[in-house]
Amino acid sequence: MRASVGTGEAIDPPSADAEPATPEPAGTPDAEAGESTGNPLDAQDVRDRRLVRRARNGDERAFEELVGHYQHRIFGLTLRMIGNRQEAEDLAQEVFITVHRALATYRGDGRFYTWLYRIATNTCKNRIKYLRGRNFHRSVPVEDSPEAQADNGGPVVALQSHVAGPEATVEGARLEAAIAAELAQLDPEHRLLIVLRDVQGMSYQDILRITGLQEGTLKSRLHRARLALKERLRPYMR
Amino acid sequence: MSNPQDNSAELMSAYLDDALAPGESAAVEEMLAASPEAREELEDLRKLVQLVAGLGTVEAPRDFYEKLARKLRRRQAFESNQGLLAMLTMPFQVLCIVVILTVAAMYMMAQLEAAPQSIERDPQATETQQVDPADEGPRPVVP
Repeated sequence: MRASVGTGEAIDPPSADAEPATPEPAGTPDAEAGESTGNPLDAQDVRDRRLVRRARNGDERAFEELVGHYQHRIFGLTLRMIGNRQEAEDLAQEVFITVHRALATYRGDGRFYTWLYRIATNTCKNRIKYLRGRNFHRSVPVEDSPEAQADNGGPVVALQSHVAGPEATVEGARLEAAIAAELAQLDPEHRLLIVLRDVQGMSYQDILRITGLQEGTLKSRLHRARLALKERLRPYMR
Repeated sequence: MSNPQDNSAELMSAYLDDALAPGESAAVEEMLAASPEAREELEDLRKLVQLVAGLGTVEAPRDFYEKLARKLRRRQAFESNQGLLAMLTMPFQVLCIVVILTVAAMYMMAQLEAAPQSIERDPQATETQQVDPADEGPRPVVP
């Protein structure tokens, strides 16, 4: 398993958070309406716990359902963190393999998805360290860099580009690729916070549970992360 | 000592996310009221957040679970095979260790038995005895 090769840090599936689950509707993963309390998060957690219980008893369908609920978000996280689709897919699978193995030790006194995300973020960090050791560099297409576009006399995409039509679509795709590329160049700790908060729209409370940071540290680090990304994207912002 | 304005600047992102306590928000608002640069910075951050939030949602490949299930099955099969293999090969491993230890012990015993003979046959020792019997050293111990 590549994630565990050559890295000192164990994946360490956490034994879930002891903090009380404070419902925060904004920015939480595919919240599901209904069920007992009417709160989407409670319903989602109830559903996850039920699936986890079944999966622990060897019900593969339950595990498949769990994967189905979270695969896109976990793949999104790994892709934004690693920046390479093939690597990200492999990594997301490693996350779920770790979860499958660790289900037996999951105590269930915290939300399942924060536990899952903690495993995912640790796996990402381990893989990044491993890839750095092997001189893996994410290849950024030259034509995506703002300097290259300016040199070619091509358009430097303005943030407020709202012109409808195919040109805007192409520009939008190019801009998106450029943002993803610049994001992948950030320090991994900064990248993680930007991905969790700004890309995946998680609440501060969830990010605190996942990263284990202090609240003040999270606020200042997220600010520094955004400043660093803003600096990188300056050529695109005019 | 940290500058309160720096602290407020660090809280600007949290202010943007509406994640500050009322006292902290007031400090940031005071800074914003006093500094056009801070207002510009906040506006830039707002644009940046919108821009990043606009990154397209990513979907895992359609066959994600199939690949995952295959990988899981392979790993489980490998792990159970490892256990089975270890159980099957255990007697052979023990036998190999016993054989190696026996051979080593026999070799050492043979060496120990051969050692006195080799001292007696040492040609230099014999020569010394012939050349100058007066200077002969201590006699070899004959068992």
